[in-house]
Amino acid sequence: MPRHHNINGNIVPFTAEEEAQRDAEEQAWNNGAFDRAMADLRQRRNTLLSASDYFALSDNTLTTEMSTYRQALRDITNGLTTIEDVNATVFPTKP
Amino acid sequence: MSIVKLNNQAVKNATSFGSISSLGSMTFIKKLTASSSATLSFVDGSDGVVLDDTYKEYVFTFNNIHPSASGDGNKFQFNFSTDGGSNYNVTKTTTAIRVWHYENDSETGLDYHTGGDLAQSTNFQVITEGLNNDNDHGASGTMSLFNPSSTTFVKHFITETSSIRPGNINYRYMTAGYGNTTSSIDAVRFQISSGNIDAGDICLYGIA
Repeated sequence: MPRHHNINGNIVPFTAEEEAQRDAEEQAWNNGAFDRAMADLRQRRNTLLSASDYFALSDNTLTTEMSTYRQALRDITNGLTTIEDVNATVFPTKP
Repeated sequence: MSIVKLNNQAVKNATSFGSISSLGSMTFIKKLTASSSATLSFVDGSDGVVLDDTYKEYVFTFNNIHPSASGDGNKFQFNFSTDGGSNYNVTKTTTAIRVWHYENDSETGLDYHTGGDLAQSTNFQVITEGLNNDNDHGASGTMSLFNPSSTTFVKHFITETSSIRPGNINYRYMTAGYGNTTSSIDAVRFQISSGNIDAGDICLYGIA
């Protein structure tokens, strides 16, 4: 079905040029899906790592549980090959 | 239940509050309803749409914006036009913050989202991300646009939405920024990064 704009409530079909441009944009978007999902996962992982950085300061004793938690965060991207893998990722529970 | 009154008038009809007169108003301008629409655009000057110096502030409300496409999560986004909707390519610098909470309570978080900001870019600005076409996914929220008709100052905006993304994560997504132009903004376009806006509506209000 051809795409359309809704401009002030009026339906305006895409031109052939707009259809081709949109197809190309969507193809490029879909091609980058896995990379975007991984980037998002890493950013959220890094936020959690940052939130526990102070446990690893030199004047603190890092517990085994906290060390395991932080290592699990670092390893969370291992073995992920599909979008479904990324979406199914469960972050470890902070001790 | 008794009617609350100000100056001996029902609150909805009050025109002053003590010594304050001209209470102001939020005026409904236009509602666009998506129906498998690739874009929704508000263009000043026709079909009852006003986006000029009539108001110093405009508010868009997003009601259950739902994408047609499945996938890793689509972005609901917008861009400005300064030529009546011929081109949507205004240069923008923006920020993006997101807060999330899993439906199963397994994780919460807050971060600055580098994937959602722009630095002097003409690309579409993300309003929220991670939209999927499940029926329990989608987004609602608002965008304020300040003084779009100014020919002296840049055009500030703020967006805030609640959405649900794959993995059943509630997102509160907030952006702010400015269209770095001293030309009048006279049109705004909304779209999904991939596929159509399957359903939902966007309303435009003027703030006086």
